[in-house]
Order: sequence, then structure tokens, then C-alpha cells
Amino acid sequence: MTHNRAFLKIFQFVTFFMMLLALYAIFVYAPVEKSMGIVQKIFYLHVPSAFLAFFAFFITFIASILYLYKRNHRWDMIAFSSAEIGVIFCTIVLITGPIWAKPIWNVWWTWDPRLTTTLILWFIYVVYLMLRRVAGENQRSTFSAVFGIFGFINVPITFLAIRLWRTIHPLVITGKGISISTPMTHTLIIASVAFFLLFLLLLINRIVLEKMRFKVEEIRAFIEDKIHLEHEKQGG
Amino acid sequence: MAGTLYLFAAFGITWLIIFIYIFSISRRQKTLERQIEKISKTLGDHS
Repeated sequence: MTHNRAFLKIFQFVTFFMMLLALYAIFVYAPVEKSMGIVQKIFYLHVPSAFLAFFAFFITFIASILYLYKRNHRWDMIAFSSAEIGVIFCTIVLITGPIWAKPIWNVWWTWDPRLTTTLILWFIYVVYLMLRRVAGENQRSTFSAVFGIFGFINVPITFLAIRLWRTIHPLVITGKGISISTPMTHTLIIASVAFFLLFLLLLINRIVLEKMRFKVEEIRAFIEDKIHLEHEKQGG
Repeated sequence: MAGTLYLFAAFGITWLIIFIYIFSISRRQKTLERQIEKISKTLGDHS
């Protein structure tokens, strides 16, 4: 337990340091883009958040399959925790996108394929989280695992939307590489690593929280069973 | 100037969302820790 706490402290420190480094890279090292100006720097928040939302939903997808296969509650905890963090990052994408779009496209929102599929993706995982709240205790894990698997279908659709359909959303990363300058690429990498560490830190803490909740539920069920048995004994 | 405003709005909102989420996790962890402590104490008193 002490080792885990020490590891978490070091991990927190490394994440904090990487965040500071990312801010330095974004505001000092990365050049100002010529046509869009300073607002283009939103890119360094928007793109890593989008990648992490996709990655989080991928973890939910894999953990959901493993839950259905092994019926081990640990996988359900991981799937749920990852989906919740995925929704947080997807929310960031859906907020930073329109803030970037307004000065560039002159509109906050347009029903572009990438934007629309991202919004649908966000709704799917919000429904996933709501489903967990309303589903009965016995069915909750199974229902959400099935939902977590089918919900993931929208992730590749969202990712490929700018490649499959005509869109005004920029395509920065292609099969040929990244179509931005070297300092911008370095900044994107640093920001992505910093956000990835933040994602892992949030995921670890969220799983710890879910384990604690599970433990409390188990103890409660145990006490309720004991009380029930004692009542039955007294009755008999 | 307008660009700077949009940029800081995006950064401000992003960090606000992340901090609110971290705060929510921490608050939920503390509530559960208190519950576990309370249950352990109750079980200790009964045994």
C-alpha cells in the first residue's frame, strides 16, 4: 500500500512536470500559425483530448469483452472508469472545437460529419453512464459491457469521418505524416504525452474509487445477510 | 486580441473541467473512506 502511494506521488509529480513543459512548449516554443494566428494553439488541447477520448473508449471496449468472457468484476470497473474519463475528454473536444471554430469558420457549430459523429459518440457514452445508474444491480455490468462493445462502433466512424466524407474539418495527420512544422509536431507530442499521463493518473484514481465502492457494497450485503439470518433464527 | 480571448477561454474551460473532475473523484473517495471507517468501527463494536 505504501509502495503504491509512493508510486502515485512520483507519478503525480511527473504528470505535473510534463503539464508545465507542455504549457511552455505551447505558449513559448511553438510558433504562431500564419493564417489562423494564436487561436491555432487550441489545437494542442483539442487533438490530444480527442485521441484520449478514443483511447478511453477503446479501453472500455476491450475491458467489456474481457468482462463478458471472464465475468471478473475487475474488468467491469476498468470499463466503467475508462468510459467516464472518455466522456470528460470528449466534452473537452466538443467545447474546445467550437471555441476554435468561431474565429476561423465564423460559426460555433456546423453539422459537419466529424463534428456530428463526435457529438453522437459523446451521447452514446453519456447514455452508457446513465444506463449504469438506472440498471438493476444484477444486470448493470452485463448491460453496460454489451453497450460498451456496440458503442465503440462509432469510434472508427468518427475517426474516419474526415477521410470518408467531404468535410471542412482539417486533416492534420495523414498516411504521409503530419502536415505541420517541426516545432509544432514536437509541441503536439509533448502535449499528447502530458495529457496521456494525466489520463492514466485519472484512470488509476477512478479505478481505486470504484474498488472502494465495490468493497462498501460487499460489506453492506454481508451485514444485510447476517441481519436477515439472525431475524430468521429469532423467528424460527 | 480576439484570438487570445478564444485561446484563454479554451484553456480556462479545459482546466476547469479537469479540476472539477479531480475534485469530484477526491470528494467521492473521502466519502467512501468515511463509510468504510464507520462500518469497520460498527463491526468492531459488535464483535
